[in-house]
Amino acid sequence: MPSVIQPRDERTQPSRIVPGYPQTPLRNPQQSLVKRAPTLSELTGPLDAAKRVRLLGGDIAGHGGKQAIGQLIHLKVRVLDEDGAPVGGALVEMWQANAAGRYIHPNDDDRAPVDLNFYGAARLVTDESGAFELRTVKPGAYPVPTNDGWWRPPHVHFSMFGKVWLSRLVTQMYFPGEPLNAQDRILNAVPDAAARDRLVARYVPPTGNPPDALVFEHQIVLRGRASTPGQP
Amino acid sequence: MKGASLVPTGEATLGPFFPPRYVDEGANDLTVFEGRKAKGEAIEIHGRVLQEDGTPLENLVVEIWQADAGGIFRHSADPRHAQADPDFLGWGRAATDASGNYRFKTVLPGAPEGRAPHINVMVMFSGLMRILKTTLFFEISSDPVLSAVPPGRKGLLVAKKQGPNSYRFDIRLRGEDETPFFDD
Ligand SMILES: [Fe+2]
Repeated sequence: MPSVIQPRDERTQPSRIVPGYPQTPLRNPQQSLVKRAPTLSELTGPLDAAKRVRLLGGDIAGHGGKQAIGQLIHLKVRVLDEDGAPVGGALVEMWQANAAGRYIHPNDDDRAPVDLNFYGAARLVTDESGAFELRTVKPGAYPVPTNDGWWRPPHVHFSMFGKVWLSRLVTQMYFPGEPLNAQDRILNAVPDAAARDRLVARYVPPTGNPPDALVFEHQIVLRGRASTPGQP
Repeated sequence: MKGASLVPTGEATLGPFFPPRYVDEGANDLTVFEGRKAKGEAIEIHGRVLQEDGTPLENLVVEIWQADAGGIFRHSADPRHAQADPDFLGWGRAATDASGNYRFKTVLPGAPEGRAPHINVMVMFSGLMRILKTTLFFEISSDPVLSAVPPGRKGLLVAKKQGPNSYRFDIRLRGEDETPFFDD
């Protein structure tokens, strides 16, 4: 079914230039963005990019003698379109810091320790209900090298492929109750408070199952719908 | 869930720590898919990505999406998709090197219905809070997307032919000769 992509409510999306984020004024367009009506080219997109890349399972906290250090968590994520319909078969790329706030990446310095049992990346495909699950550890916060007191709160990065080119999404997910959320320059670049709240995962009170991990649920909405609202 | 109306999730920057292993070996070569060769004329697209002060950007992620040599998209929304080249995925990813250069091997796209031949390009990077989307053309021609671009800037979307099968498409994120990006 063809997708319909409507203009966004800009208040629900981050500003491009963010005060206190020094790279943003150098890398974002100065000229007005050009408005266009989407054509078939933008309303199609890679449905099977997963065939071109190497998948990595969602169980990244390790097992046995090779368990990652940190609070074990299960993340249960659902990916929906704007109609609330599940987006199945979508390629998801996830990456995060370890429990000490350190990434396995040449850009990260040696301020915090590497966990030899934690790489911090998963790449998988959503099931028919648009769901995927991750077994990981809760990421630590880390300071940004602006050296002016900006720390990133614990967060998980996601890159997602929807049904069409214009539904491609790069986002970050946050954790509830984190004091650093209130001052994070990236989270707070989204003007609308409700839209910011939707970037924060929901804490699920423990039920005894799983016995060893805290559970968080999250919903991600990709652009696109099957029809315009109000149509039968 | 008829009548449901959910608001798309807010975007965020890719940040500086996108795993290098996500730029898979060969993901920038669209001429081969699952070991088979795509139909059409193989071309190379390359260019440099610069920020406002002219600094080349390293490890910036570029993705492309295009029709096959016959102008057909590998997607169910294309009425002709049953005739799409089965050996052409149409999608690729590259990262810029230390000099800010990226490179794709692909096939020259055909003209999709109502459009001139073109390649959709997106850029993701630390400091970009939103994905930047643009479109590469091979010449100034009649095209609804190119027509939307102010006259003085259209040329910035035309790749420069540098050899029989080589095209250069520089991407300037801000400042002089800034690449036109679309408000999608
Ligand atoms: Fe991060």
